[in-house]
Amino acid sequence: MTPIAAGIIGSVFLLVLLFLGMPIAFVMMFVGFLGISYLASVHAALPVVANTVYETAAYYPYTIIPLFILMGSFAGGAGITAKLYGSFDKWFRKLPGGLGIATIAACACFAALSGSSVAAAAAMGTIAIPEMRRFKYDPALAVGVVAAGGTLSFLIPPSLGFVVYGMLTEQSIGKLLVSGILPGIVLSLAFIAVIVVKVKLNPVLAPATPGHVTWKEKFHALGGVWETMLVFVIVMGGIYLGFVNPTEAGAIGATALFIIVISKMKLTWRSLSTALLEATRISVLVLFLVAGANVFSYFLALSTIPASVSAWMAALQVSKYVVITIIIVIYLILGCFLDAISMMVLTMPVIFPVVKTLGFDPIWFGVVCVIMMEAGLITPPVGLNVYTLAGVVKDVPMSTIFRGSLPFLLAMIGVTILIAIFPGIALYLPSMMGR
Amino acid sequence: MEWGEVKKGIRRINYIVCAVGMAMIIPLMLLTFADVMLRGFFNKPIPGSFEISQYILAIFILLGAAYTQQVKGHVGVDFVTSRLSPRLRAVCEIVTTLLSLFIVAVVVWQGWVVGITEKAVSDQLRIPQYPFKLLVAVGGLLLWFELLIDLLGSLGKLRRSEP
Repeated sequence: MTPIAAGIIGSVFLLVLLFLGMPIAFVMMFVGFLGISYLASVHAALPVVANTVYETAAYYPYTIIPLFILMGSFAGGAGITAKLYGSFDKWFRKLPGGLGIATIAACACFAALSGSSVAAAAAMGTIAIPEMRRFKYDPALAVGVVAAGGTLSFLIPPSLGFVVYGMLTEQSIGKLLVSGILPGIVLSLAFIAVIVVKVKLNPVLAPATPGHVTWKEKFHALGGVWETMLVFVIVMGGIYLGFVNPTEAGAIGATALFIIVISKMKLTWRSLSTALLEATRISVLVLFLVAGANVFSYFLALSTIPASVSAWMAALQVSKYVVITIIIVIYLILGCFLDAISMMVLTMPVIFPVVKTLGFDPIWFGVVCVIMMEAGLITPPVGLNVYTLAGVVKDVPMSTIFRGSLPFLLAMIGVTILIAIFPGIALYLPSMMGR
Repeated sequence: MEWGEVKKGIRRINYIVCAVGMAMIIPLMLLTFADVMLRGFFNKPIPGSFEISQYILAIFILLGAAYTQQVKGHVGVDFVTSRLSPRLRAVCEIVTTLLSLFIVAVVVWQGWVVGITEKAVSDQLRIPQYPFKLLVAVGGLLLWFELLIDLLGSLGKLRRSEP
């Protein structure tokens, strides 16, 4: 058997075990181990898995993961979500679908403090959805807005999506995080545009919220936003100017929010242990996935598949934009069945060399990948944000939530095309960075 | 002793071990924060904070692995299996859990072998690496027991679904 044949058989075996429900991290370690045993020797393969687990678990840059998750938990615990929502409601009340717009804006701001989208969807779900339903918003619109808004946490830094992409492709995590800022703003605006257009076409979807807000109240409401802005500016400013590395920025952000929670007397043993358990669970999940991916990549490298596929792709006489379109379609389909991080971990060993060979900027592709990860959070049948929201609002069926988030999925695809036409949206800020 | 009690005991231990590990995240956060502040304002970074951070990460990741399995945190794809009959689903669970048990056993065994022979120390504080490397074996063993509980659970499901 040639190495390539072994690699293909290994990959098929991996897919079979995956669909039988084996945890993805263990599948990759298992198949990787068998593959290395076959292509090198059992003797060489034996220590690989244990060594990879240790090296992944004791790698300094990865300390950023628990810190980013803590930021989100502390921000949620401090009641910042409710305050953001209240402030933006006052500003956007007169616009069509004002509460929906306020939800997107609050989600975008919360995203500037939180790295995980499920936290955002859950937190906003309990605040924004009851409000929108109280004012007789269409349920599909109300829940769809929150499901889509929650995904912004993946794109707007701090973002777990960029950290994982950076880990898998050895790109600068700092540059990736900064590259997410402008696309994040563009995507938020696109979401808002979706709401405005929908409500303009069909005003019944979102009756206007009664009550006049004076300018004095509006400016007073800005007080609800300053903490968020301050923490964001310190964290991202530190990274941007090169004063701190992303991990240190994560520690500063988490400590700042920790102090805010304590100063508001909102820290209980219960909330602290929930936050820590959450941080541990997600960090373990991500790092075991990455360790599995490293073992599997080692096997794939021995099988020479990534190099062959890249060479084959490069020799293909088609436009590189056709290839990237195919990759995006593949991600949209995979996102329906896999969770966002597993999807990246499973595909990156083969896809990334191809993208690099085609001459795409790795940072730009990172932004595209993260938008695709976001899309996976709201596509049926297993969109994670939709599942989370279905747990929060029990009287809205899951199919309604999927239907409600569909227009926002189209907005994501639209923004991806926009970024393909104007790569500067993603690349301008990182190109200006201190280091 | 009843199996139910043993199971409860294992889960309890795994939870406590995870709690010990996760309590280290706050010191990790404060250490990094203090390091940046002291470096920035007084030009006096905390010596070795980099390597201490690394070791703390290793502790809470490896000690948290078993608990993460307990709450089914190691994600898998249940898109196909959730559509199968309970009996077939139990069979799938048994096969995949056996394979997981195999690979985790390799990790435990080799984690011990490479850990016990590790001579390296950290660059600045000369903290030996082997105790942390041995946590691969320790955390792996706890994870293995957690998977064993899952296996017995699936076997029970299979027996109950016997026609």
